[in-house]
Amino acid sequence: MAELTKERFKKVASDRFDKDVISRPTISYWGDAWRRLKKNPVAMFSLGLLILCVIMTIIGPYIRGLDFVTVNGVKKNLGPSGEFWFGSDSLGRDLFSRVWMGARVSIIVAVVCTAIQIIVGCIYGGIMAYYGGIVDEVMMRILEIITSMPSLLITLLVMMVLEKSVGALVFAMCVTAWCTTARQIRGQIMQLRESEYVMAAECLGASPMRIIIKHMIPNTLSILILNVASSIPSYIFTEASLSFLGMGLDSNSISLGVLISNGRATMDLYPYQLFFPALALCIIVLAFNLLGDGLRDALDPRLRQ
Amino acid sequence: MIKYTIRRFITMLFTLFIIATATFFLLAAVPGDALSARAERLPENIKENLYKKYGLDKPTMERYVITMKSMLHGDFGESITYEGQTVSSIIRDKGPVSARLGLQQMLLGVSVGLLLGVLAAIKKGTWIDYLVVTLAIVFISVPNLVFGLLLQKVFGGTLSWFPVIGWPQGDELWFGGWKYTVLPTLTGCFVYIATYARLLKTSMLDVINQDYVLTAESKGLTRGQVIRRHVIRNSFIPVMTQLPMSVAMCITGSFFVENIFSIPGLGLYYVNAVSGRDTSIVLGNTVIIAALYIIVIFITDILYTLVDPRIRIRGGKK
Repeated sequence: MAELTKERFKKVASDRFDKDVISRPTISYWGDAWRRLKKNPVAMFSLGLLILCVIMTIIGPYIRGLDFVTVNGVKKNLGPSGEFWFGSDSLGRDLFSRVWMGARVSIIVAVVCTAIQIIVGCIYGGIMAYYGGIVDEVMMRILEIITSMPSLLITLLVMMVLEKSVGALVFAMCVTAWCTTARQIRGQIMQLRESEYVMAAECLGASPMRIIIKHMIPNTLSILILNVASSIPSYIFTEASLSFLGMGLDSNSISLGVLISNGRATMDLYPYQLFFPALALCIIVLAFNLLGDGLRDALDPRLRQ
Repeated sequence: MIKYTIRRFITMLFTLFIIATATFFLLAAVPGDALSARAERLPENIKENLYKKYGLDKPTMERYVITMKSMLHGDFGESITYEGQTVSSIIRDKGPVSARLGLQQMLLGVSVGLLLGVLAAIKKGTWIDYLVVTLAIVFISVPNLVFGLLLQKVFGGTLSWFPVIGWPQGDELWFGGWKYTVLPTLTGCFVYIATYARLLKTSMLDVINQDYVLTAESKGLTRGQVIRRHVIRNSFIPVMTQLPMSVAMCITGSFFVENIFSIPGLGLYYVNAVSGRDTSIVLGNTVIIAALYIIVIFITDILYTLVDPRIRIRGGKK
C-alpha cells in the first residue's frame, strides 16, 4: 500500500487539462454533406440553375410587361422577335411570359404535392413502425393494396370524378404517392427504434408522438431530402403528361403541360410554340434530377469511398 | 414456399376485389356520364329503356352486386358511347396492338440499357462511362411525350423517313409493318434504357467491391471471367426487382405513346373512354389492366424467390 503523503496532492500545471480538447472544429453531418455538395460542380451548377428558374418564375411573367392572358387577334402566331422573345401563341399572347407563368404553376403544384406526400408518408410510416404488431400488419396490407395498382390509373380515375382544377390535380396525384415515402420511413424507423437513445427517451417517459417528432424524423431527414429531390421532377412530369392527355388542368389555365399540349396542336406550322415550353420543362426536370444525384452522393454515407 | 405462394395468391385476389369495388364507387360518383349526353334528345320511353339496358335505373348498391356478379362470370360490360363494343371485344382487338408495342419497347430498351450499364461499369471513369451516365440522365429528364413529338416532327415530318401515323393490321399485326412501329418503339424505350443502364451500373459497382470478387481475382481468374461469372450474375438481382415496375411503366407509358402516334391500342382507347366518361368501359378496363399488372407482379415475385436463395429462406419461414 502506498502511503498518502503531502506531495502527492500537489497542484498539476493547468495547461495539462485541455490536452483532450479537440482542436479542429467538429463537422456535423449536415456540414459535411454541404461540403461534399459544394465540391460537386454539376450539382452546384444545377442548384444555381434551379435558383435562377425559381427567380424567373417569380419575375419572369412581368419582365416584358405584356398582357399574357387576354386574346390579341392582331398579333397571333408571330415568331420569336424583339417584341415577343419566345414568339406569340395562336391567340396572340406573349409566350415568354406564359412559359414562366406555366413553370410557376407547375413548380407550385409539384412542391405542394411533395409536401403532402412527405407529411402523410411520415405520419403513416412513423405510426406503422412505432407501434408494430397488428397495427403495422394492417397498415402494411393497406399500403400493399394501394401500391399494387398502377398509380396513373388511380390518378386518371380521380381526375374523372373531380372537376378540373389545381386542387383536384394535387389531390389526384397525391392519392397514391405517399405510399413509397411511408414504406421508406417505416424501414428507417424500424432500424432507429432499436437504438439506445430512443430507449433512453422512453425510459425518461417521453410520449410516442414526442419520440417520433424529436428523435425519429430528424434521423430520417436524409431519406426525406432524397425523396423530395426525386418527387418534384416526377410531379412536374405527371402534371405535364396529364394535361397533355387532356385530363389535367383545362386549356384556359397556364401550366407547362397545358402549354405543351397547346403547342402540339400547332406543331407543324409553328414549332417554336411547342419548343419553348418543352425546353423549359426539360431544363427544370434535368436540374432537379442532377441536383438529386448530387445530394444522393453527398448524403448517403454508404456511397463514400 | 408453397405456403408463401398461397398466401400471396389470396392477397392478390383480395386486392383485385378491392380495386374493382373502389373503381365502381368512384365511377358511380362521376358527375354526368356518357349516357345522359346521348339520351338527351331521345323520347322519354326510349331513354328509359336505354337506362334499363345499362342497368343505370337501379340504385347504386344493387348495381354494384350485379356488376360484381357479371364480372365473376367474365362479362365486363358494354360501351356506352359505341354500342356493341364490349370490354372483352376491345381487349381482343386492341390488346395485341399494345402488347406488341410494349414488348418491342421493353426488349429493345432493357437489352440496350443493360448493355450500356455493363459498359459503363467496366469502363468506369472513362469517357464511355460519362457518356452513358449523361445520356441516362438526359433520357430520364426528357418526358417521353416530348421525345415522341420531337421524333415525330424530325423523322416523320421533316425527313419523312417513317410514316407519322398508322399501325400494321391483319396479318402484319405481330410481325411486319415495321416502319410504323419504329418511332413509337424508340419513344417508349428511352426510359428503359436510362433506368436499366443506371441500375445495372450501380449494382455492378456494388458487387465489384465485394470480398468474393477479390477472392476470385486472387485465385487468378482473368478480368473477363470475374465479370462474367461473378459480377454480372450477382448484380442482376436488383434488375429483377425492377422488371415488374417496368410492366407498370409500359402500361402507363402506352397511354402517352399511343396518344402521340394515334396507335389504336388499349392505352389510347382507355384515355378516350376516360375523357368521354364511358363509365362501363372504364370500369371493365381498369379491372383488367390492374389484374394484368398484379398478376405480373405476383409471377415475378414467385420467380424472384426461386432465383435468389437468400429470399427463398426468408419466404419459407414466413
